[in-house]
Amino acid sequence: MKLVINSENRDVADGQTVLDLLGSLKVESPDMVSVQLNGEFVERASFGKTGVKDGDAIDFLYFMGGGSRA
Amino acid sequence: MSGFSTLMIHGRPNLPDAHGALRMPIYDNVAFEFGSSRDIQLAFEGRKPAHSYTRISNPTVEFLEQRLAAASGAMGCVATASGMAAISALVLALGGAGSRVVASRYLFGNTASLLEGTLKPWGLETAWVDMGDLAAVEAALKPGACMLFLESISNPQQQVADLKALSGLAQAAGVPLVVDTTVTPPVGYKPKDLGVDVEVLSTTKFISGGATSMGGAILDLGSFDWKQSPKLAPWAAQAGPLALLAALRREVHRNLGGCLSPHNASLQALGLETLELRVRAAAANALAVARFLEGQPKVLGVNYPGLESHPQHGLARAQFGGLFGGILSFSLADRPACYRLMDQLALIRRATNINDNKTLIIHPASTIFSEFPPLARQQQGVPEGLLRLSLGIENAPDLVDDLAQALEVL
Repeated sequence: MKLVINSENRDVADGQTVLDLLGSLKVESPDMVSVQLNGEFVERASFGKTGVKDGDAIDFLYFMGGGSRA
Repeated sequence: MSGFSTLMIHGRPNLPDAHGALRMPIYDNVAFEFGSSRDIQLAFEGRKPAHSYTRISNPTVEFLEQRLAAASGAMGCVATASGMAAISALVLALGGAGSRVVASRYLFGNTASLLEGTLKPWGLETAWVDMGDLAAVEAALKPGACMLFLESISNPQQQVADLKALSGLAQAAGVPLVVDTTVTPPVGYKPKDLGVDVEVLSTTKFISGGATSMGGAILDLGSFDWKQSPKLAPWAAQAGPLALLAALRREVHRNLGGCLSPHNASLQALGLETLELRVRAAAANALAVARFLEGQPKVLGVNYPGLESHPQHGLARAQFGGLFGGILSFSLADRPACYRLMDQLALIRRATNINDNKTLIIHPASTIFSEFPPLARQQQGVPEGLLRLSLGIENAPDLVDDLAQALEVL
C-alpha cells in the first residue's frame, strides 16, 4: 500500500498496524514517539489495534526534542 | 532498582556515553550539527529525535530531566533556569487573560509577586484562598480557573494542606492540581499518590546538593487530561497526554528562554545522588531545633509540621512519609527582637536561601515579603515577629547551642 509517511510517499506491505510500522520502518526512539494518523493523535495504547490503509498519512513526531538512540 | 538513592546513583542515561564515562558528561555546547539539510528540517519539524540548540534541549539537561522524572515517577520533565522560571513557564502555558489561578494565600513572596504584580496587568486573575478552607477553594474553582496552586508545605508559615481533598475538588472542576514541592522532594513519598497532577520546583534548593547552582523543573505526573484545559486543548489534539510537555518544549519554555545551563544540570544530577541523605539529615535537625525552641520562654510560637503541637501534624505525617522538611519558623515579640537574635548568631548564617547544607536564618517581613504592605503581610501569614530558619546538615547540638546563646540577649 502507498502511505505518506512524515510527508514522504512510501510503499509498504499491506495489513499493518501503527505498531507494525514502528518496527518495519525502524522508527527512531519508538518509546518517545507520538503518532498522528491523518492528522489525528493516536493513543499509545491503541498502536497495536490501529490499522493503516492505502492512502493514509502518518506522522511520527518527537514533541520533547531529545537525542536519538540510533 | 526500588530504593530512591540506588535509582538516583545507578539510573542510566538513555544514550550510553561514547567513552564509557561513569558520570554523564557536560555537553557545554550551544549547537548540534546535522548531516544533511533534510535532517535539520526533520528535527525542526519534530520528525527526528535530535538536539538542535541548547536553549531548547541538551543531552546533559535531558539526563537530569530523566532523573527527576524517575524520582517522582513522572511522565516527563522540563528543566528550567530557576524555580521562578519553572512557575512562570507553567502559569503562562496554562493561563492567560481572562483566566484565573486559584492560589494559596500562603505562597513564597516572589511567586505571589509574579501573580499579583507581573501577570495581573496582562489580565490573569488570581483568587487567593486558604487551602485549609475547602469550601472556599471549591467556590474559587468556578469556570475560568486554569490551575489550583499551592506549596506542599508553605514557606514560611508551614501550613500543610490536605492534598487528596484538594485533588478531589480540582478533579471535579476539571482543573489540574499544581504543587510546588521544593521543600518536600519525593523522598519517602510520591506526590502523584496524593493526587498531584503537576509538580513545579526549585532545584536550586535540596536538589542542587548544597546551593551549588540555580535551577528549576516542571514535572507532568501524567494524571491530568489536558483536553480539559482550554489553553492546552489544541496541543492535546496533536500530542495527547504529552500536551503540557509539548507546549512547554515547543513553544512556551522555548520562547521564554529560561533554559537550564548544562553545567548546572550536571551539578544537580550529582546532587540527586545524595538527596535522600541530606533531606533526612535536615529534617532530623529541624525537628531537634523545633523541639528546643518550643521550650524557650522568649519564643512565642514555633511552626514546624513535625511537632505534635502543629495543627496539621497528623496530616503531614500521612502525606510526606514521616518527613516534615527542613524549614521552620518561629515568633519573637517584634522585629527588633528578631534583629537582635539574628545579629547575635555566630554559626547560623543570615541569608535568603533554603535547603542549603548550611543553616540559614532570615526575617521574612523585611526581606522576601517587604514589597507587600503590612496588612497584606499579615494576611499572608508573615507578621513582624516571625523568623524563618532553614536547617542544614550540621550537627544539631551545635545549632541548638548557637540559638541558645543568641536567645540570652533578648
